[in-house]
This record gives sequence, structure tokens and C-alpha cells, in this order.
Amino acid sequence: MPMEEKLLKILKELRPEVDFTRETRLIDEDILDSFDIIALVGELNDTFDIQIGPEHLLPENFNTLSCILDLVRKLQAEG
Amino acid sequence: MPVATFSFLLFISATLLVYFTVPRRSQWIVLLVASYVFYASAGVKQLLFLVLTTIISFSAGFLLAGVKNKNKKKFILASALVLDFGLLVFLKYYNFAASGINALLAGTGFALPVFKLLLPLGISFYIFQSAGYVIDVYRGKYPPERNIARFALFVSFFPQIIQGPISRYDRLAPQLSASHEPDFDRLKYGIQLMLWGYLKKIIIADRAAVLVNTVFADYMNYPGSIAALAVLFYCIQIYCDFSGGIDIIRGIAQMMGIDMVENFRRPYFATSLADFWRRWHISLGGWMRDYLFFPLSLSRPFYRLGKRTRRLFPGKLGKIIPTSLASFIVFFVIGIWHGASFKYMAFGLYNGNIISFSIIAAPYFTAFLEKIRIDPQGLPWRIVQIISTNFIVFIGRYFTRGPSLMAALRMLKRTVFSFNMQALRDGTFRTLGLSGFDLFLIVAGCFIIFLVGFYQEAGVEVRKALERKNWLVQWALVMAALAVLVFFGIYREGYIASEFIYQQY
Repeated sequence: MPMEEKLLKILKELRPEVDFTRETRLIDEDILDSFDIIALVGELNDTFDIQIGPEHLLPENFNTLSCILDLVRKLQAEG
Repeated sequence: MPVATFSFLLFISATLLVYFTVPRRSQWIVLLVASYVFYASAGVKQLLFLVLTTIISFSAGFLLAGVKNKNKKKFILASALVLDFGLLVFLKYYNFAASGINALLAGTGFALPVFKLLLPLGISFYIFQSAGYVIDVYRGKYPPERNIARFALFVSFFPQIIQGPISRYDRLAPQLSASHEPDFDRLKYGIQLMLWGYLKKIIIADRAAVLVNTVFADYMNYPGSIAALAVLFYCIQIYCDFSGGIDIIRGIAQMMGIDMVENFRRPYFATSLADFWRRWHISLGGWMRDYLFFPLSLSRPFYRLGKRTRRLFPGKLGKIIPTSLASFIVFFVIGIWHGASFKYMAFGLYNGNIISFSIIAAPYFTAFLEKIRIDPQGLPWRIVQIISTNFIVFIGRYFTRGPSLMAALRMLKRTVFSFNMQALRDGTFRTLGLSGFDLFLIVAGCFIIFLVGFYQEAGVEVRKALERKNWLVQWALVMAALAVLVFFGIYREGYIASEFIYQQY
């Protein structure tokens, strides 16, 4: 399954009512709260074998689907 | 120099005058001097802690930039945090701990000395702000400040040093260094916001405080209904005092061309306790989230705990147990941050327990609502949520305002078991220090705040809506606010209004 699909599946399970392909201010507008973020990070770490730390928890890394994808790719590349 | 005094207004006017007269590149120096003058007016000795915190945090940032080794970086961060928070912990909790130890060892002849420790003005706020800076530099969020005087301004910026909001370096520092032209609209908005803050503080909060102080000073002699009334008035007082103070601070900064973060977003419209804390003292909540909740939740012990709970409790429950434990710890820390006392610990535990429980219970509760066909997004259910959230907050206030944990529990017991509704009608109210007109002002003030909040919740920008009105209406409103302040403000002798509740933290 492509990375984007996997990510969308995780996000949909987390918050079924949100259209993640359209939202551009997931953090700025409190669509994802801190509990969602921690749950999401746990899933991302396990699924993509990465280690997201507190220093990565910035609005610019989680505001949109593509921001989250970029973060995952960056951390995978860093190994 | 209390904020609600004429000397403070004179100080602001003089600072603004100099600020907009000097060459633009020197404006930040005016702010730095004004900040230190303001702080020194609270007590020259208190400057010591401010200067120490500034030097520790600046040096840590400076050293972190020059080090590549991860362990050395960790050591610098840990040392700065221990020194910064060590000051706070010593000043806040030493006497509490020493008295406790002395009581335990009574009769052994051993006794720790108990000092007369005065908490310097706004110390928590500038320590939180500086510690946030050091952590951000450690995390590589931004490069450190190279100029200690500019950093000193970030730590001491005078309106915010009283009681926050707790600002982030990357948002505030560039604004403090930038040049600002006088701008009529900004001046006007700033004055309006200050007026709104003064109305909340001097007309409502200081008036409600009269009844609150009377009842709490002699709480054993009042029935439950009067105790509940005092707690209700305290809810009004603390909101108007704290958010009014923040409005004044943000208004002053706005006149100087500086936008400070929002600290309150209509908390009494919250639909859950977690939502309430996202709307109340937002800058402290954000600080706790970024520098305590996130690191804790993502730490190795919590990761291991998560693995175990997911194995033990498959499904959502197993996943949320570690997060709710982290949130519980955050509330406990917020509780004891308020002060070294068992009542604040109880307050932290109360909030932490309810929030942790509601996170765990949420999926089951939603399923239950669906079963009994209640729309969780519908207006009626939202109103029920708002009322129940306010009730939970109301109960929590017994702990924060009660003179001690025992006193709070006694008052709660009286509220439940000897309410005595009659006491609200038999003239007892008239002995609590407030006249019928005072009550009218408080109720009318709360109604206006509610109305403004209601429109803001519906997405209306109230200040912009007023802007579209005839200029005569706008001026009439400002004049009316001024007249209310002059004629109905609560002033003590020499026009020194009471200080803010939160500046003691």
C-alpha cells in the first residue's frame, strides 16, 4: 500500500469525521488535539518505523496531510 | 506599581511618548529600560532573580549553539532547567517542605530553618518563558539570541512580566526588536482593550472580591447556600481579574505595535473540562503541552507502558491509558505550581482524575448517547455539556479559594448537606459587604461579557462590528466605559486598587 494511503487509513481511524485531504490547518484550528497527536505519533512510529520526538511536534509538521507525509519521509531518510 | 493606578497610567503614557520619539532602532532599549524601572518599582531586591534567570538562560542558549555532542547538549539543558526551576522551587516550596519535615521530626531537637521568603513579582511567568526558550534552542527550533540586552527584554517585557501571557521567543522577540511607527488604529484598539480589561477588573472582579473575602474569612459561620454563592462570585472574580489583567497587558503591547498571544478564549463556553483548560490560561496550557505533556508521552517509559497496556487491554482503552496518565501528571504539576499547599494538590488531582477518566470513558459514552438517540453535536446536548462543565469547574474552585484543603472540604460538605436556601432571601446577603446596586453592576457586567462572548463564539468579530457603527456611537461607548470606571470603580484609599490574583504565582 502506498505511503499516502497508509497514512490516510491511520488518520481516518483516528478521526473518521475529518476530511484530511482538504484540511490545511489541522493544528492551528485545533482539529487535532494533543491526545490525537500522541495517538497519531504512536501509529506513525510503528507503521513507518520512525522515531518522532517532541522536537518534531510543531504545527508546520502536522497541519496538512502532505506536511505529515514530508515529516515521515524526512525521518525515514535520516534513518 | 499596581496596574490599576494613576501612577501606572502615567508610567505607560511617558513610556509611549519616549518610545515613539526616539529613533526607531532604539525603541527596544526604551522598552528594556522601562521594563527594569517597572520591575525595580516592585522591589530592587527582586531584580536579582530576574537578572539571574536571564543570565542562566542566555548562557545556556549560547553554549548549546556551540556544542555538537548530544550528551553535552543534554547536560547544558538539564543544568539550565535545574538552575531556573531550582530558584522557583526553592522560593515556592522550601518553607512548605521545611515545616513538614520539622513537624515530622518534632521532639528530636532537629529543625530546618524557615525563612521569610517573598515570591518575586511574576517569577513563574518569566522562568517558564526563559525555560521554553532554552528547550527550543536545544531542540534546534531556532538559533539562540546573541545579544544579552535583547534577551533581557524578552524575559522582562514589562506589561507581561506581571502575570503573563507566557510568550514564545520566536513569536515575541522579533516584534520587540522591530521598529514601530505610531499607528492611530493600533492606539485606538489598544486603549479599547485596556478599557475592557479595566472594566472587568475594577468594576466586576474587585467588587465580587468584597463578598468572596467576607464569606471565606469566616466560612464556618455561613450556611451552604452562602458558601456556594461565594464560590460562584469567586468564579466571576477570578475570570474577570485574570482575563481583565491580560486584556490590559495586551492592550498596552498593542499600542506599541506588539501582538501578544491570546490567553483566554471564552472558557465558560467550554463543553468539557479538557476544553475549558484549552480556553483558560492558554499560554500556560500550551507551555505544559509542548514542554511537559509531549516529552512525557513520547518518552521511553511511556512507550514501554503503552506496549504493555495495549497487550493487556486491546482496542482504544489500551492506547489511551499512557496518554491519560501523562495528562494526569500535567494537571498535578499545574496544581502544585499554584502553590505549596495540599489544597492545590487536591485541585490538580481533581482535574487530572476527571480529565483522565473522561478520555477513557469517552468512546463508551458516545456509544451510549447513540443508543438513547441523542445527537452529540446538537445544540441541546451542547448546552448540557456547557452547564455540566461549568459545574465541574465551580466545584474545583472550592479548593483554589478555600483557605486550606480542610476548609474547602468543610465548605463543600455544608453546600451539600446544609444548603439552607432561606439564607439567600432572609437578608444575610446584605451583611456580605455588597449593596443591591453592587449586585446589579456585577450581574449587568457579567451579562455584557456573556453577550460579547456569545457573539464571538458565533464567529462575530465584535470590535470590527463596532467599527462599522457611527463614530458618535463609538465615542459614546468609550466615554460611557470611562464614566463607569471613574464613578463605579472599586478604589481603595489613595486610589490603589487591589492587585491581580495571578501575579502572586
